[in-house]
Amino acid sequence: MSKRAFASLFIAVFLLGAVLRLARLDLRPMHHDEANQALKFGLLLEAGEYRYDRSDHHGPSLYYLSLPFALTLSGRSLAALSETTLRLVTASFGLGTLLLLLLFVPMMGRAAVAWGSLALAGSPAMTYFSRFYIQETILVFFLVAFLAAVWRYVRRPGWGWAAAAGLCAGMMYATKETSVIAFGAAAAAFVLARGWTNKAAGGGGHWRHLAVAAAIALGVSFLFFSSFLRNPRGFVDSILSFEIYFTRAGEGGFHVQPWHYYLGKLAFSPGHGVPFWSEGLILALALTGALAAFASRRPGPDHAPFMRFLVFYSTLAAAVYSAIPYKTPWNLLPFTIGFIMLAGSGAAALVVLPRRNAARLGVALVLAAGCLQLGLQSYRANFVFPADTRNPYVYAQTSPDFMKLVRRVEDIAALAPEGRNMLIKVVAGPYETWPLPWSLRRFGRVGYWQDAAAAGDIGRPPAIISSAEEAAKIGPALNADYQSEFYGLRPDVLLTLYVRNDLWESFLKSRAQ
Amino acid sequence: MKKLLHIVIAAGFVAGVAATAAAQAPTPEQGKEELKLQLPKPMFVGTPRNINSPNLEKVTGKSRGPFFVPAGTKLLSLNKPVTSSDTQPVIGDVAYLTDGEKSGEDGYFVELGPGKQYAQVDLKAPCQLNAVLVWHYHAQARVYRDVVVQVSDDRDFVTGVTAIFNNDHDNSSGLGIGKDKEYIETAEGKLIDPRGVRGRYVRLWSSGNTSNDMNHYVEVEIFGTPAK
Repeated sequence: MSKRAFASLFIAVFLLGAVLRLARLDLRPMHHDEANQALKFGLLLEAGEYRYDRSDHHGPSLYYLSLPFALTLSGRSLAALSETTLRLVTASFGLGTLLLLLLFVPMMGRAAVAWGSLALAGSPAMTYFSRFYIQETILVFFLVAFLAAVWRYVRRPGWGWAAAAGLCAGMMYATKETSVIAFGAAAAAFVLARGWTNKAAGGGGHWRHLAVAAAIALGVSFLFFSSFLRNPRGFVDSILSFEIYFTRAGEGGFHVQPWHYYLGKLAFSPGHGVPFWSEGLILALALTGALAAFASRRPGPDHAPFMRFLVFYSTLAAAVYSAIPYKTPWNLLPFTIGFIMLAGSGAAALVVLPRRNAARLGVALVLAAGCLQLGLQSYRANFVFPADTRNPYVYAQTSPDFMKLVRRVEDIAALAPEGRNMLIKVVAGPYETWPLPWSLRRFGRVGYWQDAAAAGDIGRPPAIISSAEEAAKIGPALNADYQSEFYGLRPDVLLTLYVRNDLWESFLKSRAQ
Repeated sequence: MKKLLHIVIAAGFVAGVAATAAAQAPTPEQGKEELKLQLPKPMFVGTPRNINSPNLEKVTGKSRGPFFVPAGTKLLSLNKPVTSSDTQPVIGDVAYLTDGEKSGEDGYFVELGPGKQYAQVDLKAPCQLNAVLVWHYHAQARVYRDVVVQVSDDRDFVTGVTAIFNNDHDNSSGLGIGKDKEYIETAEGKLIDPRGVRGRYVRLWSSGNTSNDMNHYVEVEIFGTPAK
């Protein structure tokens, strides 16, 4: 593939990836986890406070990397912050991952990178979670950058790539403590790939370079976990968090899934009335790429060593993630990116398989149509079914109906004398509370109680929001004075909104006008 | 002696409970009979939790109990033509409303587009309606929004429209404020008493639900007698 053709193709693919990642970022209601992260970031934004919490929330990079986006687009106020601004952070890193593939041209070849970027641009899993304000997309970005730096270093050892590898490793750890799975899989894959190839694919490393890379990695992660030296204990806590995550991985609870959960999701998910979902094309092409990596007979600095590394990395990482009982769909990203890159290599190998140019063109067109089908699935996942349980990547997602509750509270506040300073009491357990703290961030007086007993005398506030369980306890005391409404928080989870009768009457009158 | 006393007390208690139950059991009015319904298999258990609210029908977890209709009442809607405001449903076909299949599984419901939508059953002749039974979607605990059921002899519902059910408490659908309660979908369906209203067309409105903005129907059964 000529440089010009490659550049043109890559720009087109990048634009496709940009549309799928950046358009209508506000379409999906905030997920419980996104809202949680957003509030944590809000504290950093408004008060400059961040303290690593080893029991939850993962690493600090998400919050610090969100700062430039928020400061540029919405200022220092949490109230002014929007879903679009927050999701723009992860979407940008998702798009950045696409650009990073360019670094692999020497290790994979232009054709493989072009096909890989097309699969990455259209992958429903990759696009969907790029639009999710959680750490995974940032982890994948630094993982890909780390692999690129390591293999660039292997090809041509030097301070630059060593330092870049260290920086990316540090950022990976500062993003998610569980990045150790990716580190472990990458290290084992590196040893296996080098062993398989016998001859080193490039020059050997220098211990000084390695020491600098390790120092930078440690330094970067220390800076982030210690809140830039204000809480040195944070770094120690990040190491102590392994005990918590190890225990959680084994326990699982609600999140326990069978070993084939991730592969099953990628391979096939029934549509339940709408067309089925499948990234089977990526899996099939990745398998082809794996076969091509081991079928290569050319010795020396060809593409086989890196492709073999990718085979080992993707397989090992997928095996480890699949072996952990605790599973959430976004955890498939760190190994799926390996499959996608392998798929690029597989597609490139398939295209050159026939001898005739016409046949090659035919294969390329079929593969392009397959990738287009991935893009169409991405469109459906992100713009048609972003919060619908028929979308395989929708997981404990907040229902669109929840946004009607927020709008109703806004409507009532517009009529209340106190406006957004009206008292709102929320009586619900933690799993039925989020994303309320995010959605009600613009209200000045919102109180949260986990149950009716803790709330005590509920009084006569303008609005009360309660879980179904607590509504049964507080409802009888309110019935005469309040109008109640029901809103879906998540499938099978309802919230009750109580609006004081005087405000309800005003609301109905305003509707009639 | 003591044992005998216990037996007598226990027998008295059982007899008392039985007599109370018999007294409380609904009895049909003159010329009425119990409407026999065939209900689908329930699709979820455990939810919804007990919600105590004046605006939501109390979820008892028990059977609805008998419903009495005038003698001679028949199922009128089976295989009758259905139209809808969404001429291209997202999933399925509007004919599902009257095909007699009430399963909550995939493949048995029609999905109409987001927001306010209606489905309309044509009974082919004016009838006296004695019961309407609606299943929107019963695989999940959901509340459908702004459920309004209207009856008319006018296909376009411009004249002679009678609302037999309306739980649009804030008039967000613009069909008038309803005083009926919201309810959580179950396999029992929602039984509406049309109180003998006459009409050829039955139009069922809804405006999304607590899980998504779509509108669903598994089945609608309209019972009555041909108008004389």
